[in-house]
Amino acid sequence: METARWRDTINLDDLWEGDMIAVTVDGETVLLVNVDGTVRAYSNRCPHQASALDEGDLDGETLTCAKHLWEFNAVTGCGINPDDAQLKSFGCQVGDDGTIYVDIGR
Amino acid sequence: VSTSRIVVIGGGVASAAAVAELRSEGYDGDLTLVSAEDAVPYERPPLSKEFLVGDPGDGAVKDPAWYQEQSVGLRLGLRATGLDLPGRTVTLSDGSVLGYDQLLLATGVRPRVLPGVEGDGVCYLRTIADATELRDRIHAAGHVAVLGGGFIGCEVAAAAIRLGKRATILEALPTLLYRALGPDLGDVMAGIHRSEGVDVRTGQQVTGVQSRAGGVTISTAGGAVDADVLVVGVGTVPNTELAEQAGLPAGNGIDVDEHFATAAPGVYAAGDVAAQRLPGRQSGVRVEHHDTATRHGRAAAHAMLGRREPFRDVHWFWSDQYDHTIQSAGLPDGSAELVIRGSLEQRSFSAFSLDGDRLRAVISLNRPADVLAARRLIARDHSVTAGQLRDESLPLKRLAAPAAAR
Repeated sequence: METARWRDTINLDDLWEGDMIAVTVDGETVLLVNVDGTVRAYSNRCPHQASALDEGDLDGETLTCAKHLWEFNAVTGCGINPDDAQLKSFGCQVGDDGTIYVDIGR
Repeated sequence: VSTSRIVVIGGGVASAAAVAELRSEGYDGDLTLVSAEDAVPYERPPLSKEFLVGDPGDGAVKDPAWYQEQSVGLRLGLRATGLDLPGRTVTLSDGSVLGYDQLLLATGVRPRVLPGVEGDGVCYLRTIADATELRDRIHAAGHVAVLGGGFIGCEVAAAAIRLGKRATILEALPTLLYRALGPDLGDVMAGIHRSEGVDVRTGQQVTGVQSRAGGVTISTAGGAVDADVLVVGVGTVPNTELAEQAGLPAGNGIDVDEHFATAAPGVYAAGDVAAQRLPGRQSGVRVEHHDTATRHGRAAAHAMLGRREPFRDVHWFWSDQYDHTIQSAGLPDGSAELVIRGSLEQRSFSAFSLDGDRLRAVISLNRPADVLAARRLIARDHSVTAGQLRDESLPLKRLAAPAAAR
């Protein structure tokens, strides 16, 4: 059975609530978002045309891609506009010392 | 049993957004979409860009199965030829008659056709059928000429260059994208096209177009241009005929209020064809951009469901040319002060239209984050100075933050 491969990234101290940041994990650019203390990890590439999501905007729970204004719920990864899009999601957890761990599935 | 029938006329994204929103908001009555095109509504923006270069996806907004699952009746390949407002019926080009309780007119626009500029090798671009023909012709061509230096013309020229073709843009106005961007920013775009290898000829009045075997000759005061294909992008004409024949006010587009209502009860209009009365505007605002059409469709659906939410979404558009992205938010005001953040020379700037301490609009090149911040600012109560907008050390995002967090 496949087991999770957690890679450490940054510390929660460096990702404020309402903030997002792109980190590189094994060559994959991962977007970390912090919505009210909940941290999520997604591929940093917009499902529309692969534009970098960290150049966009996080306003409350709404993540907006800067290139063509596709909007996503930053907690669920579900598209808002258009509503049938979906962010590629990665496993993500925060350790006791605040380290954010990400599993990109390989 | 109370039944309800909604008919949506038009096959663009405004229609698609309207039917999707009606269903997702729980409308379970009759719903029919009528389109003169044979395909379900699809995304048009790629047709002047990546579609021409060789990615032939159909770009359907919702695939055909979705309409079936959602019980949305499709009447494709049919035009609405008659509208009876008192009787609340629409007649289609096959003679069939649809009754409605509420009607959405999202009939869009069509390319403006120049008299005499037609024939083999002369292409206009609006539909996926147009784009398919144009793509085949560009791929077979050595030299692509474009008449009109607006967004369609510039994007097609960029696609031709990407395919390794020669490209020439002929524009009557002093620079490219003159109406959309103004002279200074238009010159930046003309410079970009020239440095990519486009022969940009501005201030050129075309005196004749001759379609001949295997090509087109375009005569101008500055000399003739021989090309294998000519793409004409000289603006559009709103498809108001159906509304006008029924007696609805429609000058430059079908007149609607902030709730997308026309002068007739139960009849709404949205998308490129709608000229909307908005606060602070003397005449109806008609916008021909994708995001606005989508938002119109959604908002018109809300209006048809009885919600009274005046349309206040910030208008926004983009254009991708080569590796450059133009984006704009808001509605510029001719009298506003233009404030530049960044550098025109370095092709990285935002041009803000400032009206007193209010930001009205922004046009930016390769600065998407500026546009997002400006869009947020425009949507909210705010006060900003030219100095703040020019100051690159001051993040625009901070200006857009809620007052409490400032």
